Amino acid sequence: MKTLIAGFCPVTGRTGKEMEEKNMKKKMVLALAAVMLVTSLAGCGGGSSSSGSGSSGSSSGGSSEAAASAGESTEATGAKETLIIGTDADINNLDLQKQQDAANNVILKNTHQTLVFFNNGSAGDDRFVPGLATDWEFSDDTHITMHLRDDVYFNDGEQTPMTAEDVKFTLDMAMENVVASALAGYVSCNVVDDHTVEIEIESYSNEFVQSLASVPLSIQSKKAYDDGVEDPYYIGTGPYKFDEWIDGEYCRLVKVEDYWGNDLPEDDNFAAGPAKIIEFRPYIEASSRVMALQTGEIDVCINPPINELQYLEDDDNIEVYEQTGTRLFYFAFNVSKDPWDNQTLRQAVACAIDRDAVLEAAVYGKGTLQTTILNRGLWGFYDDMEGFDYDLDRAKSLMAEAGYPDGGISTTLSYASGTPYEQIATVIQANLADIGIEVTLEPMETATLKSACVDGTQELFLWRWNEDSKVDFVYRDLFYTGSGSNYHHYADSKADEMIDIVATEKDQDVRLQTAQELQEYLVDACPQVPLYIANLVIAYNKNLRGQYFYGGGNHNWSHAYIAE
Amino acid sequence: MIKYIAKRLVMLIPVILVTSFLIYWAMSLTGGDPALMIAGDNAKPEQIEQIREELGLNDPFLVQYLNYMKGMLTGDMGKSYVTNKDVFKTFMERLPNTLMLGGAAVLIAVIVSLPLGIYTAIHQNTWKDTAGMIFALFGTSMPNFWLGLMLILIFSLYLGLLPTGGKTGPTSIILPAVTVGFGLAALITRTTRSSMLDVLRQDYMTTARAKGCSEKQVIFRHGLKNALIPIITAIGLQMSLVITGSVLAETVFSWPGIGRLVYDSITKRDTPMVTGSIIMCSILMCIINLVVDLIYAFFDPRIKAQYSKKG
Repeated sequence: MKTLIAGFCPVTGRTGKEMEEKNMKKKMVLALAAVMLVTSLAGCGGGSSSSGSGSSGSSSGGSSEAAASAGESTEATGAKETLIIGTDADINNLDLQKQQDAANNVILKNTHQTLVFFNNGSAGDDRFVPGLATDWEFSDDTHITMHLRDDVYFNDGEQTPMTAEDVKFTLDMAMENVVASALAGYVSCNVVDDHTVEIEIESYSNEFVQSLASVPLSIQSKKAYDDGVEDPYYIGTGPYKFDEWIDGEYCRLVKVEDYWGNDLPEDDNFAAGPAKIIEFRPYIEASSRVMALQTGEIDVCINPPINELQYLEDDDNIEVYEQTGTRLFYFAFNVSKDPWDNQTLRQAVACAIDRDAVLEAAVYGKGTLQTTILNRGLWGFYDDMEGFDYDLDRAKSLMAEAGYPDGGISTTLSYASGTPYEQIATVIQANLADIGIEVTLEPMETATLKSACVDGTQELFLWRWNEDSKVDFVYRDLFYTGSGSNYHHYADSKADEMIDIVATEKDQDVRLQTAQELQEYLVDACPQVPLYIANLVIAYNKNLRGQYFYGGGNHNWSHAYIAE
Repeated sequence: MIKYIAKRLVMLIPVILVTSFLIYWAMSLTGGDPALMIAGDNAKPEQIEQIREELGLNDPFLVQYLNYMKGMLTGDMGKSYVTNKDVFKTFMERLPNTLMLGGAAVLIAVIVSLPLGIYTAIHQNTWKDTAGMIFALFGTSMPNFWLGLMLILIFSLYLGLLPTGGKTGPTSIILPAVTVGFGLAALITRTTRSSMLDVLRQDYMTTARAKGCSEKQVIFRHGLKNALIPIITAIGLQMSLVITGSVLAETVFSWPGIGRLVYDSITKRDTPMVTGSIIMCSILMCIINLVVDLIYAFFDPRIKAQYSKKG
């Protein structure tokens, strides 16, 4: 009967056969819908072990350890098997010498090792200590003899020893890649014997050896490249090795069972950590990252948003850690542009900026004001100069002295869109209006801003600089005449001379004295107004142990684990 | 029909040419030097210049574009400036995730919106209709990043039922799919309602009732089928938008899809990745449109006859 009714439709005029076809079609549609749902759900399953949907990285020697579930604990150590770190940036390139992102370097620190180890928080000779190199000495101003450990081998499944040839290969290769800037002054590396190299540099530098602590300069296996191994840069000497990297999802490292440093004492910088697996997962949206920590999906939340810290502090299972960072945010002038070539005018502007208000608006006060242009914690940091505190009367007086008693200046402030620059720019715009400077805000993308700064088309701008180990990367890059990152377009032979002395003077007392004078000189010259050093804030599971934080964000996770 | 499909596929060639040119041109206009982004903060001017030379960034725009298209002809979409990975491979790695999210979102949207659109059309100008339209208005107006965060708050943080994000298991697609699907459902509900209202007023509906068809048969067999064409158009259009436009949902849920890939590449001035991805998205959109056109024929024999005539 149903068929009859359906088959006698005056509208469509279908026959019974057509109706059967139609029923068939209906079933097909339902089946299609079911398939869509099932494939959608099945396709996103098994993310932890399948590489079928978007695997872009592979292990340097597969590992069965990765298949173990994250919830199990490592009985011998009382540590949770897996440590999961929620990062605030995507991992985009793990080829050491073809990248410079902190998000990549933090991972590579676990799988690769450097000749020299940067001991964060330490001073003097303890700051840069032996890593894969046991010791070094200058045979003359341009030659450094470096002795290597003889017990190190690569995690390539064959325990290939690390030798002087690998060091030479790595350093030579670096000069062909984007990390060459980290190795400025390098001329060549001569192999003296299996475990000794002689490095030749252009001229004496106080910081060349420290350059070798840079993660992209970690020692790589020459044999892996010679043998044509796929992605040879994955092979390192560290306590962890790559298991799987799925672009946009996670990067998983597994502990190296036959790691060369298994017998090192626990407090050694290269000692292996208890966690069997360390996984890095990008959670770009800050609120999502915070909630992922609260639900226990991740153990560490990098850079939680300051305005959400209260939720984390109220959570009994979470600890919020805060320390002074190294990232300096500053307001700057393009001193090659009129009227900002007027030093007194720049000083007037510096006095008009209420840096307390900037700090509050930008990071809710979670930072440190400073007067000097050097990143906090670096060698020779000196902050006792008078500088230019917020003082409107002094600002107005300096304006008059500079030839602008009534202000009447219109200018543009360029900055990268987003937090905290927008907040900083708004405060500064209001501050400068008080001394008769009308500021038009010009937010732009970082790439566009950078190009404008290099070309010198900007007037005023906001920028940040993060350096935690080498002072020359601040003085020379930011203030030396003609330097690529000298966005101030500041050119001063006296400053250049002092920068050279700090870089090359062997008498450390003279060097320190010059460093202080240089900072005083640059603060007074005022190509930039240092605003604040942002605090390093990080939140994590309260059972986290063995963490080793760097103010600049290049944390060391190779000893970290969740205690159980 | 096959000829028709072949013709449509050939039409992809001008689409690729125009799209690639426009994107390349737009990227060159946006400012921002890729070499500066690659070289990092500490790079010396000569190193930046070397990178620029290696990537051919010193060539005039047209030379750069032609070199890129030469590569395209041999199936080479170039390598990402940032990751140094093959553009096509990277895109194809992300594509399944986007299709998965888009498919699930559209499915959720259809399951919710079709019955709701029909129901509100049948009950036009009653409180039920008003309630349905308020839902639709709510869905259209609500920013999906906010909805996403609210869903995470409720289902992950308070109830502990679902993961907050990432692609960690079968359940991890639910919240992003609901977030994206909710907005789509609102639009499809409105389209379904208005299309059904048009059809319900047609004479053949009265005829169907007069010949004794039950109301259910009248609505679903005679009404819905004839109302489906605009609805399918809306679904197809939304599916196309979901593929490239889910960047907010993908960011909130850390879902590794194409939207996030394109967005990140634009901010880093990764021209090969942006151009390659957008060309691939254009191809996908053309294919989706073609599929939608073919589905028309599946539901309406008159359209099928037209295709055969054209073919």
